[in-house]
Amino acid sequence: MNDSAKPAGWWARMRRPSTRLSVLFLVGLGVIAGIVLWGGFNTAVEATNKEAFCIGCHEMRDNVYKEYSENTIHYTNRTGVRATCPDCHVPKEWVPKMMRKVQASRELYGKLVGTVDTREKFEAKRLQLAEREWARMKANDSLECRNCHTLASMDPEKQKPRAKKSHELAKKNNDTCIDCHKGIAHHKPKGMKEDDE
Amino acid sequence: MKTTTTLRATAAAALALAAGGALAGAPDWSKVTGTKITVFYPGASPIEWITKGSEHGGARALKKGETCASCHHDETADMGKKMASGQKLEPAPIKGKAPAIPVVVQAAHDGANLYLRFAWKQPAGGADKMDKDNQVKLAVMLEDNKIPGANLAGCWQTCHADARTMPDGKDDKKTKYVVDGNLGSGKYYDLIQWTSKGAKYDGYVADKRVMDGGKALLEAKGEKKGDEWTVVFTRKFTGGDGDIALAPGKTYNLGFAIHDDHSAGRFHQVSLGYTLGLDTKADISAAKQ
Repeated sequence: MNDSAKPAGWWARMRRPSTRLSVLFLVGLGVIAGIVLWGGFNTAVEATNKEAFCIGCHEMRDNVYKEYSENTIHYTNRTGVRATCPDCHVPKEWVPKMMRKVQASRELYGKLVGTVDTREKFEAKRLQLAEREWARMKANDSLECRNCHTLASMDPEKQKPRAKKSHELAKKNNDTCIDCHKGIAHHKPKGMKEDDE
Repeated sequence: MKTTTTLRATAAAALALAAGGALAGAPDWSKVTGTKITVFYPGASPIEWITKGSEHGGARALKKGETCASCHHDETADMGKKMASGQKLEPAPIKGKAPAIPVVVQAAHDGANLYLRFAWKQPAGGADKMDKDNQVKLAVMLEDNKIPGANLAGCWQTCHADARTMPDGKDDKKTKYVVDGNLGSGKYYDLIQWTSKGAKYDGYVADKRVMDGGKALLEAKGEKKGDEWTVVFTRKFTGGDGDIALAPGKTYNLGFAIHDDHSAGRFHQVSLGYTLGLDTKADISAAKQ
């Protein structure tokens, strides 16, 4: 065997079978490394999925969060169950969640250039931001809402007549939650289309 | 003596007939089933607000053909509280305004006249008097299924944001009207009103509100016993211009409003839209007596 014929360098060393470490050791090492890497990644993702992270920036804290925490059903209610920012704005399933995270990464650019860093700038852009979020929720059939609410699990007899009627119509017309429930956690933007509810 | 009595009876009968047989055919109200309808203070909620989805979530249901009453019939008292208190749709809340008044409505007919009876308890008041002459007024509007949406939204088809006393109303003379309304096409609401001062009005609402000219309303009588008001309208099936023609077997759209506590303009308590059927099933049925 001519050693000089073997490929040299970092990649070569990575490809060369071990002569001293057992397969069991290597597999075990791989599992542990996988757990550490995956766990670390997931922990980092989950850290961005907490309300404290969302309102870490004043843009969110002073505008949409303030409205949500003033007097909305998802902040305080009879049963004491609270839906926080990610409950409504980030899907729970992994693939949709990661897609949402990638989409949301452009908000970092917005933060850097100060797209909505004043109340005036936020109000000026509010309709566009809201319409983008409504479109996203409509496209995913109000996935985040349905993490907690489903038409099938509702008891219409316990609802007020108008809610009962509206949900009957929604079922019949294949409407999705956000079709009717806009502005339930934040103020409605000025200039929204008359048909938007 | 007997002749005199007969003559008197004949004269009384003639007078009754001249009055359209109102007395002759007056129903025994104790045998007529009452329908409880709670009128409520609507604040400034014109049809433009009702049909604007971004303001009123029910606009979607309305467009799908649902009536206002199908969603709101049981909650008008709660709705009235929101508006009367200024929590919603009322920029100028009136102190002491009754948010809602439960009314028992009865209807009957005798083949020639329709009888409508309204009974309610006088709520507390005490606001400044807008109408010094009348403590209470009661108006009824009837529609013959010609105006689009009248079967859904009742009187709201006549209630507009630019009418007098509305926050955006600039013209003090502009009252109720129907978009594209006119007598010729039948797109109008027949309007009758009783006032506690003792007057009755028989008009209509088409391109504008007209308070007279109708020939169908024979009598509008009201009285207060204790704290309970009772108002009875006697209306011929047919009249003249602005009087819709009634016939057994048919159904009409009906709404009514009480101007309580010397109020005027939009500061009334109103009903949602309901149906009135003559010898046929409806929200309020008038059977032949």
